[in-house]
Amino acid sequence: MALRELSSLEKYLGLKKPNKYSTQGDKKIPVLQNNNGPPLVGLVTIACHLVKEAKRPELLGDSAESRAVVQQWLEFRVTRLDSYSKEDIKTILKDLNAYLQDKVYMAGNQFTLADTLIYYGIHPLIVDLAIQEKEQYVNVTRWFNHIQHYPGIRHHLPPVVVLRNRIYTSRHH
Amino acid sequence: MKLFVSEGNPHCLKVLAAVEVTGVHCEAQYVSHEEKVVPFLSRPALPALLLPNGQHLFSSNAICRYMFEVSGVESTELCNQWLEWEATDLQPALLQALHMTVLQGKGSEVSKVIQGPLNYLVQSLSKINTPYLTGEAVSVADVVLWAALYPILLDSGVALGEHKSFKLWFDRVNGMHACQTAAQKVLQGKGHECMKSYMQRQPAPQISQCRDMQPSNSTP
Repeated sequence: MALRELSSLEKYLGLKKPNKYSTQGDKKIPVLQNNNGPPLVGLVTIACHLVKEAKRPELLGDSAESRAVVQQWLEFRVTRLDSYSKEDIKTILKDLNAYLQDKVYMAGNQFTLADTLIYYGIHPLIVDLAIQEKEQYVNVTRWFNHIQHYPGIRHHLPPVVVLRNRIYTSRHH
Repeated sequence: MKLFVSEGNPHCLKVLAAVEVTGVHCEAQYVSHEEKVVPFLSRPALPALLLPNGQHLFSSNAICRYMFEVSGVESTELCNQWLEWEATDLQPALLQALHMTVLQGKGSEVSKVIQGPLNYLVQSLSKINTPYLTGEAVSVADVVLWAALYPILLDSGVALGEHKSFKLWFDRVNGMHACQTAAQKVLQGKGHECMKSYMQRQPAPQISQCRDMQPSNSTP
């Protein structure tokens, strides 16, 4: 899973020669063999490294504040979206829905690496949502649909159908 | 910017230590464990930092990184790697260990729970020749890992004596005035007793399952 994500990210970033990866441990943590030093371990660490390699520092945020927000959501991805119980799913979607209410992207008005990795991580949750639930988490769905159509992002994942018109208009009654 | 912390919350130790070490000017407000500071989260999350741009940070590691960056020290790739490891590998084990020590009085069994991640740290430290985790100077990685381990290593049955390089590193960070000040603020010199009311409000740790083993709830 993580390795396919990293390869999609490489393509999005336009990195010419693909890197060599391996995994370690039961959780299949990605490892990048690095010619210039010791290997890099962990999805977030490697993804940030690729962004720097591609000279796209703006994808990590363009100010100290936005860099902190990006890092926070990258951590959220690997701590909350890589292992969760069934009860967690509701909380994750509810919180993200509240957060995204007044935002276009995870870090506000600018597309960053946080959008890419949260999109990859939340894809399995969104695939499983019923139409009614997609309407309940309307801000998440809107953001998700935006990112899956963002040029060069979707790659290894199938598109998820998001309805533009509400079917269940009476859900509040 | 404004920092929200609560007494006896072990995660607050990280951010208060980062404030002390970096010397960043930041007003810290003590609130109760139940205080909802971050408007979009359904559960109270502390520590939290209100950024100058009006956004909230709820991850203690992201807050620590921000403190170091504001003080002029950007996080290196090695620092990033330690912070990611702390959040994904060390924290789940520590949460379980704290639960056992503070609430169940099973402090003697703690080493079993944290042995795996602790060994990884011990091995990494025995391979490096620098006084701190990522170099000659104390970094955000040292502060975060020290603060994460401090509450559990405090009067617990985990023996450090046999791991010489680990003990040297821990004592070096622990000996910093900034770290001791932060520890005094969060734990009030009362140790585990002080964390009780915080731990009682946390959901009991469960062995988290990998997503691949979860039954899918999609309808066929």
